Parts: sequence; structure tokens; C-alpha cells
Amino acid sequence: MKSFRTIAVGFDGSDDSEIALRWAVRLAADTGAEVVVVHATGMLEHLDTHFSADKMPTALATIAGEYGVDVQRLHWIVDNGDACSVLLRASEPPVNADLLVVGSRGHGKRPGLLLGSTSLEVTQHATTPVVVVPSNVALH
Amino acid sequence: MVLVMNGTYDDSAHEDAGHPERPDRVKAAVAGVADLHLDGDLIVVPPYAATRSELARVHDGGYLDELGAFCYEGGGAIDQDTYATFDSWTIAKHAAGGGLAVVEELQRRNDGVGFVAARPPGHHALADRAMGFCLLNNIAVATAALLSQGERVLIVDWDVHHGNGTQAIFWDEPDVLYVSTHEWPLFPGSGSASEVGGRHAFDRTINIPLPAGATGDVVRRALDDVAAPVIDAFSPTWVLVSAGFDGHRADPMADLQLTSGDYAAMAQAVAAFAPRPGRLAMFLEGGYDLAALRSSVRAALGAALGLDDADEGTSSGGPGADNIERIMRERASALEMVRSIDDEESAP
Repeated sequence: MKSFRTIAVGFDGSDDSEIALRWAVRLAADTGAEVVVVHATGMLEHLDTHFSADKMPTALATIAGEYGVDVQRLHWIVDNGDACSVLLRASEPPVNADLLVVGSRGHGKRPGLLLGSTSLEVTQHATTPVVVVPSNVALH
Repeated sequence: MVLVMNGTYDDSAHEDAGHPERPDRVKAAVAGVADLHLDGDLIVVPPYAATRSELARVHDGGYLDELGAFCYEGGGAIDQDTYATFDSWTIAKHAAGGGLAVVEELQRRNDGVGFVAARPPGHHALADRAMGFCLLNNIAVATAALLSQGERVLIVDWDVHHGNGTQAIFWDEPDVLYVSTHEWPLFPGSGSASEVGGRHAFDRTINIPLPAGATGDVVRRALDDVAAPVIDAFSPTWVLVSAGFDGHRADPMADLQLTSGDYAAMAQAVAAFAPRPGRLAMFLEGGYDLAALRSSVRAALGAALGLDDADEGTSSGGPGADNIERIMRERASALEMVRSIDDEESAP
């Protein structure tokens, strides 16, 4: 089985998405993969009511340092759309991710239901392997 | 004559305090209709809840079950933009049924212009997914009902966001022509000029992406130059409009620079595509500045009715004129690609 070259991880600013990001960076440290952090810009973000991307470069540099990964292997993209669609697009050009990583719960709040769960919707529609990172995963 | 759904159904139960997609939007839209002083020519059509079979023409059964259960369990955040409450399932069904009721009334009268003043909006809703404030795709439900009667439907979507849900639902449907003008880049990220329809609906999708700051002159020229020739060839028997008014320059959700006068001009142009009276209906989509929404509804409906009632003039001078040539080139290239693939696969 081939090793992963490009890992795309969904990030919406939630605690669960940060855990998923850390898990992806740790995997990159083990495999040499590139990590593309994907943030979906929704409709409300135009009103500045949600996540701000300004802090991302610093945050990525910190996480890269924690796991001993060259920060140049961590990339940051913002794409318009809902979280599920944007993460699924990451498996297409130009990102061409061969692994999608997502937290178990983002802003959706209804465990056990497909509706409101980006992770379940991504696993249902993805054409590449998906890792759903539980919120209590051990990272060290 | 104008037919207005809503005004009789209280949708306040679908409200997340502070969210821009809120019940006051319908009140503003209805106030815009009232500003036309149509008196006896205004007919209010009471909505009904669309049935499962009517919804299932465009939505997956599993999704409908899931959405209903989600609401009855109290609702919550569906994604970063979209919410539902306990009452949202009932209210969304009435929004979809309101469109059906307006279409049926237009058919009965063979006269008038319909306006579906309902929420939540619908054009982002996919067959199996809620998104972008939308739960059920109201205009798609009405379109599917018309298709079942053998009609050919033109959908013009002038909401500032691309109507990805409507496009996806009818992507391969040859009897629907979907035309969208929208700001790009912007949510939901789809809507490039190279998206031209599926293999069974070749040239049945027309996307006109416009840059932030674009003004009404560019939108009107794009409709004339890019869309009108295809619409004329399509020869629709019905015209439905995803009438979002969030491209207004006062709207906080995007950065087009349209005025109520521009919406009047667009409505006048689109109304001319209807083959006869009683075959044009507008569905409220976006529009989040209440004053701009009220003014724009008044202007657009007035223009569709042949009234000159806009309180703002048209706008011009913004960017985007250069885009029109590029859009035509991208469409031509995409159409040629689809043709060549078809030719290759049909070769002996």
C-alpha cells in the first residue's frame, strides 16, 4: 500500500478540528506527507461572526514545531463553501489529497445523526480514505 | 395582478436569535409588495405543507426522514451557517408548498405574476443535504412539479450566491435551463462558467460569475449577451426566478453593488422570457438588509407587472465587463469538450 503524499485536514476553529489537525501533523511527521489545512468559508463568515484566519500561520508554525515537522510542509487554504463540500474538493486538483482527516464533531451538534455531522457526510461521499479523529484520541 | 404566498403563516418559530436569515425578512418582503398598492389586484394564496411525494421528486427520502427527525428532536446547528429548530420541518414544508400553491394558482388563472414570500430559502439545498441557510429546495420542488406536467422550465437565479443545490438537482435534466448570475469567488464556491450541464442536459446550465463591486450594467449585459440566445433557443413554457436580493449594495452578505433599480431592470428582462401571462413566479431567496430587501421586492415585482416603481436608479461603472467575453470563451470551451467526449464515445 502506498504511503500518503498529501493529507487534507478540515479545520473550522473548533476544539475537535484542532485535535484532527494535530493528529494529521503527527501522521505527517511519521510519513513525510504534506499537510493541507482546509478551512471552509461559509456565508456567515462574510459578516465576521466566525473563525478568523489571521492567526493560522502562527498556529501552524507552533504545531509544526511541537511535532518536529518542517513548517514548509504545512499549507493553509481557505475555500468558499460548506465544510463537507470544501473538504471533498480537496481530493480533487489542485490539492489532490489522498487522505482526508476530519474531527468527529465540528459545529454540528447532533451525535449519531448524519445531518449536522461533517465527519459522517464526508465519509459517505468521499472517494479517498477518510480518518475521523475522536476528540479523546491520544496525541503523544 | 400578483399572487403572494405567506402573510398567513407564522414562521417565527424558525428563528435563531441574531441569525441574519430571520422571519423579519418575510415581513420586509411582504411590505415591499404592499408598497405597490395593488389593492384588489393583490391575491394572497395560503400555503400548504408540501407532501412527501412532492418533496421526494427532488430530495432523497432518507434526507427527508433525517431532517424531520432532527427538527423533532429539537434541531440545532446543521453546519456553520445553517440551523433548524423544532418547528423548522413544518415551516420548510410550507415554504416549499407555498411555491406549489402559487404555481397552481397561476395555472388556474392563466394570468398574473407569482411571488413566493417564504423562508427558509432553498437554492443551496441539495438532494441529500441542507446548507447555506437552506433546508428544502423550494424552487426545485416547484420546478419538478411542472416537469411532471410536461413543462419546460427556465430558472433564473439572481441571488448573489450561486444556487449550487438547484444546479445539482437539475444538472442532467434537459427540460430545465438554469441561469445564475452571482458574485465569485464567494460561497458556495461553485458556479464557474465552465459548468454547462450534464451529458443529457448539454448547455442547460449557464453560470455568470461576477467580481465583487460589479454593477447592474454588467449583469444586464451578461443576461443579454450570454443567456438570452440560449433561453430563446430553449423556449421555456415557464419562468421561475430564485429572487435573492443580497446583491444589493447595502446587503452585508456580499459585495455586489446593485440597486433596487437594477432588480427592476433584471425583472423586466426576465419577465420577457415568459411565454404568456401567468407563467412567471419569483421565489424569495437571500436578502438580509431589510430596507434594501423591501425596496428591491417592490422594484422587481413592480417591473414584472409593468409598473415603474423603483426608488433607486440603475447602477453602472463597476468591474466585470471584461468577464463577459471570458465567460463566453469558457462556456464555448467547455461545450466543445463535452461534444468531443460524446463524439469519441459514439465513434464505432
